[in-house]
Amino acid sequence: MATTPDAVLEPAGAPPVPDARSVTDARIFVASQWQLMWWRFRRHKVAVASAVVVLGFYLVVVGADFLAYADPDASEAQRSLMPPQRVYLLDGWRFAPYVHGVKGVRDPNTFKRVYRPDPSQKVPLRFFAQGFEYRFLGLIPATRHLIGVDGGDAEKRIFLLGTDVQGRDLWSRLMYGTRISLTIGLIGVSLSLVLGVVLGGLSGFYGGVIDTLIQRTIEILRSIPTIPLWMGLAAAMPRDWTILQVYFAITLIISLLGWTDLARVVRGRFLAMREEDFVVSARLVGCTRTRTIFVHMVPSFMSHIIAATTLALPAMIISETALSFLGLGLRPPAISWGVLLQQAQNVQTVAISPWLMLPAVPVIVAVMAFNFLGDGLRDAADPYGR
Amino acid sequence: MTTRWSRLMAVLVAVGMLSGVIAVGALAQSESKTSLIGKLEGPEVVTDAGKIPKAFKEAPQLAELVKAGKLPPVAERIGQDPLVIKPLHSIGKYGGTWRSGFTGPADFWNGFRCCSGPDHLMFWDYTGDKAMPNIAKGLEMQDGGRAWLVHLRRGMKWSDGKPFTADDFVFWFEDIYRNKDLVPTPSAQLAINGKQGSIEKVDTHTVRFKFPEPYFMLPDVLAGATDLAGQGFAYRGMGGFAPAHYLKQFHPKYVGQAELDKKVKDAKFDSWVRMFLAKNDWALNPDLPVVSPWKTATPINTPTWTLERNPYSVFVDTAGNQLPYIDKVVLTLAENLEVLNLRAIAGEYDYQQRHIDLGKLPVLIENQQKGGYKVHLDPGDYGGDMIIKFNLSYDADPEIAKWFNTADFRRALSLGIDRDQINETFWLGTGTPGSVVPADTNKYNPGPQYRKMWSTLDLKKANEILDKIGLAKKDAQGYRLRADGKGRLRIEIMTLGGQFVQYTQISEMIREQWKKIGIDLQVQEVERSLALKRTAANEQQLGAWNNDGSEHLFTFPLHVFPFELAAVATSGPLYVKWFHSAGAQGKEPEPRMKELMEKWKKAFGVPEKERIQLGKDIWKIAAEEVYIIGVVGVGPAANGVRIVKTNMGNIPARQYNSPDGKTPAISRPATFYYK
Amino acid sequence: MLAYIGRRALLALFTVWAISVLSFAIIQLPPGDYVTSYIAQMASSGSVVTEEEAQNLRIQYGLGQPIYVQYLKWMNLIVRGNFGMSMEWRRPVAEVIGERLWLTVVVSVAALILTWVLALPIGIYSAVRQYSPGDYAATFVGFIGLAVPNFLLALVLLYLGFVLFNAHIGGLFSPELQDAPWSTARVVDLLKHLPVPALILGLAGTAQQVRIMRANLLDELRKPYVVTARSKGLSELRVLLKYPVRLALNPFASTIGYTLPYIVSGSIIVSLVLGLPTVGPLLLKALIAQDMFLAGTIVLLLGLMTVIGTLISDIVLVWIDPRIRLEET
Repeated sequence: MATTPDAVLEPAGAPPVPDARSVTDARIFVASQWQLMWWRFRRHKVAVASAVVVLGFYLVVVGADFLAYADPDASEAQRSLMPPQRVYLLDGWRFAPYVHGVKGVRDPNTFKRVYRPDPSQKVPLRFFAQGFEYRFLGLIPATRHLIGVDGGDAEKRIFLLGTDVQGRDLWSRLMYGTRISLTIGLIGVSLSLVLGVVLGGLSGFYGGVIDTLIQRTIEILRSIPTIPLWMGLAAAMPRDWTILQVYFAITLIISLLGWTDLARVVRGRFLAMREEDFVVSARLVGCTRTRTIFVHMVPSFMSHIIAATTLALPAMIISETALSFLGLGLRPPAISWGVLLQQAQNVQTVAISPWLMLPAVPVIVAVMAFNFLGDGLRDAADPYGR
Repeated sequence: MTTRWSRLMAVLVAVGMLSGVIAVGALAQSESKTSLIGKLEGPEVVTDAGKIPKAFKEAPQLAELVKAGKLPPVAERIGQDPLVIKPLHSIGKYGGTWRSGFTGPADFWNGFRCCSGPDHLMFWDYTGDKAMPNIAKGLEMQDGGRAWLVHLRRGMKWSDGKPFTADDFVFWFEDIYRNKDLVPTPSAQLAINGKQGSIEKVDTHTVRFKFPEPYFMLPDVLAGATDLAGQGFAYRGMGGFAPAHYLKQFHPKYVGQAELDKKVKDAKFDSWVRMFLAKNDWALNPDLPVVSPWKTATPINTPTWTLERNPYSVFVDTAGNQLPYIDKVVLTLAENLEVLNLRAIAGEYDYQQRHIDLGKLPVLIENQQKGGYKVHLDPGDYGGDMIIKFNLSYDADPEIAKWFNTADFRRALSLGIDRDQINETFWLGTGTPGSVVPADTNKYNPGPQYRKMWSTLDLKKANEILDKIGLAKKDAQGYRLRADGKGRLRIEIMTLGGQFVQYTQISEMIREQWKKIGIDLQVQEVERSLALKRTAANEQQLGAWNNDGSEHLFTFPLHVFPFELAAVATSGPLYVKWFHSAGAQGKEPEPRMKELMEKWKKAFGVPEKERIQLGKDIWKIAAEEVYIIGVVGVGPAANGVRIVKTNMGNIPARQYNSPDGKTPAISRPATFYYK
Repeated sequence: MLAYIGRRALLALFTVWAISVLSFAIIQLPPGDYVTSYIAQMASSGSVVTEEEAQNLRIQYGLGQPIYVQYLKWMNLIVRGNFGMSMEWRRPVAEVIGERLWLTVVVSVAALILTWVLALPIGIYSAVRQYSPGDYAATFVGFIGLAVPNFLLALVLLYLGFVLFNAHIGGLFSPELQDAPWSTARVVDLLKHLPVPALILGLAGTAQQVRIMRANLLDELRKPYVVTARSKGLSELRVLLKYPVRLALNPFASTIGYTLPYIVSGSIIVSLVLGLPTVGPLLLKALIAQDMFLAGTIVLLLGLMTVIGTLISDIVLVWIDPRIRLEET
């Protein structure tokens, strides 16, 4: 949804590299482009922290099954709308986390479900415990989860973040939702990347008619309000597609608009670089056009591409949630951040079951993290800069 | 030793207390469910000639206009035969504005239900059972049911003061209904056994409906929300009567095509048909003369739909006060259901029933004090707030078609649904799990045992049945394999999002439940128009919807058997053609469904006692064959949660919730007043 | 200069035409047409539309004709200043959109102003105190608007408004003044309802503006004239405000063209949640109902706003910064 002018995608002043200078002056002069970039990046503390956060998210993506303890589709009316449980970390003096058993009943006067923890029932939490079956990485069957209970029926006993209307555990659903939302982002961004680099490159390298055509297309696409475009495209999707197919189609739709920014960056870089000495000399020496592009030009703006790509990801995440809100994106029974938020988008959640809005937290954290990371990368991307 | 004992005691006490709490809770639950669900009550139409008031009173602002000479006196405006309604609790006071919410130009039912009178010739009493005279003073059967005399009210006038006479009926019949441009398809309700009837004038205040065969059900058809029911369907050219003196200026027969074309162009319509039907639209045209207690002042296609009192209203109370009491009805636009519900919660509406979400019940109850309103629950009488239809004419996959047409397959699937879970989660426990048959109090209900028939949770039996009919083989995940060897048996259910009932979510729950009987259900939520397209094209396998209206199964057959092609969920689109063409086109349904259809057709032409028996037989077949699975019914999910400000009077504790009864029209909103 | 404007204007016109084609195409993408949607709506509320009626409707609305014919018909109408008839509202499109369009502009501009009010100080602070904890904190605040799903935020604020302040739910006017003619009271009423939508939308656009402000200001701060000014003895604040900020504002101002469509687009969802009488909810419903002319006109108008905004931005930019003019030639 974001349309970013060029100024945003240009480096805004990289952090100085005093540390490296103090190591040995010589090192700077022989260091590779990537090493310089890394040193610059390291200075930007928040960016580094964000990188760690992002890494954490992708670990969740890989290990969602392991981190969840309940089958995300297991519904049970008697567990409907449970608030998050309190976890007691110390049992006496030992570190032995446990939760209390819970009994619920529908209050006849308020029609709310009321849950009372039963202090006499202590449910110890076990780590690396048995739970529902899954396939790790889609291949290896496993039953171990990070958290579980004796007896393997964690979905009936633990509710770390509470449950939704159908009694499904929110924590587990959030794990699976993270997986889908972040992979959509990744795939979408890759598609945008390919489109952006190819079209932007063509535009910048050849100039002339091709350039004008592509530029006009970009301008037209950027001028159309995104929502009607999405709606039209989403509505045109055949309805008998499986969840997976819809999922890929959604990423395609989102990335169809995201490539414009990347294309502009690439084009700008190509235009600037066409006249650079090293490119001209490469041509003079006799390199073919392909070689010139891929061996000489592309590496020099690779860092910009990485930065721009990272900055495009949060837009993907937000777009996915927006699409789900409109009913165009992923729909139940698929689980994504967008779906979870869409299920929380009602008055009764805000008023009575606010814990169902918790999926907004990873969205916020992820978007912020990617943004700071992207900023840091972009600042570090121009190692020869001021 | 002592600690162990005391611990044991503590546990026992805790368990005891807990079970006590649960027991009390269960008791209190049934008690409190009733505190929100009151006793069925409502105002009555007075037919006793002796009780009709002789002197009339009117609203102060109308009295002013009479004094200023702008309106004739009230007695003249009402005529000699007022429609007398005995208010539910007390005679009311004039004044006030009724604030409510609507969602846009497509939400015209909102206005019909609250404010159209109703303007049917006959109408249901507050129990929804008996058809009483309404706009018509009386109905007289002649010629063994082949003719019906409709006695109009003498001196009754349209809202612009012109007389309401038999000419308005003839105009409608000859110039609107019979005009192929305006009404391309004749209505099945003005016909008996496929043969069209006719309307003729007897004298100024008497009209005759004539039919080639006995049409005993006509009073019910005139009472229900059908094509002959007043100006509700006038936008389609239906209604039974229409203001001839006003509409003639838009009709080519009276105005001449050339002049009409000019008018059409000036008014920017696409064709004279579009203009005529727009002019005849109760919600859209403020100039259209009406006979309802309120008439549209600012139309539905503006951000605020207002209705003002009709000075020529023929409705009066038993003390002779001309109704309505309330001066104005203001419906404000809320394009988003959350906003509408939040406004209701905040007390910005005085009486709101439509679009209130049952899932928000706890929040509504919580804010009763702050908002100054009370919450009422009006469970419907129909058996299925949520139903699942099997498309029996599905033919894209012969294996699935075979199973859909196997009664035991359908029964087993029905036995595999845990309805109590669904009731608790989505109806907050206020619904009734069971089959599709209507409520026990409904006159067509075949008997209490039919509620539970094939509609309890019995996994053992379900699995047994499925094993027996040839689906015993299962794959590694426990899903049953197809008999034709093509892998797992997978069936698909089509649902609609954004409705009063959470069809998609409920279907998801059912999907989990059916895992236990080895059935793989795919849930697909689609958009309305796509749902329609797929059902009409015979592509739907299972469809989720509700069967509201089926409590009056003869006027609302859509969800009893495949009656319409245009349905978001269908039991067999190919059978629709067969039914309407009396066997000439389409595909012939299986014997028991044929039997059901025959009985339905027959009922229109037989006296009431026989008809009731036919109705019961139809429901018996439906319950036994399980063409449609009933999940949870007799519940308040659709139009059943009512917010009423505490300062309103003559409000029933419970009303009959039915689309045929145009609830709340059945409670005569003209008698509501502000205390 | 004039040649440049002329060329850009011509290109803009072409873009607008292309948008009209595209928007019309998009609306026709979903299967079926208005009549299918209409039938579906009727069916789901228990009313009936027979096949013959549907056919009639199609003919009367001209839906049976091929798409390019319908498009040409629409273009024909537009050229005459008539945007066609909305099938759902049964009123001329111009009337339906009427007040809503400029209310959309009002909300968007309010959001834009809020964006600047927030982004400017944050951007300046961020550039001047780069990499300090304050910088991170300020940037965090600036970015939070981008990260929070605004539809959820809107609902929460709506509810909180009711619970804490007994505020009227949603909309831009109190019910009494909704349809009233314009008066001071109505303007004041509008201003009272503006803060929440402006806040939600404004926060979303802040992040981008912060980045731009920071980037530009950093560029300026490294320029030699700043060193000169400092060495001449000007106070730090004056050094900052007198030249760099003013210069950094120039490209800032020219980004209206990019921010406005972003805000307008984002306002569609927020308007729906808050029940604002703007173009957003209207567009959504029109798209779902496939109300061709209404949806097409709104998309066209929004696109037009964007193109005009971009055009103005480019012209302003060229006017201020002669270098760009030279680059273009």
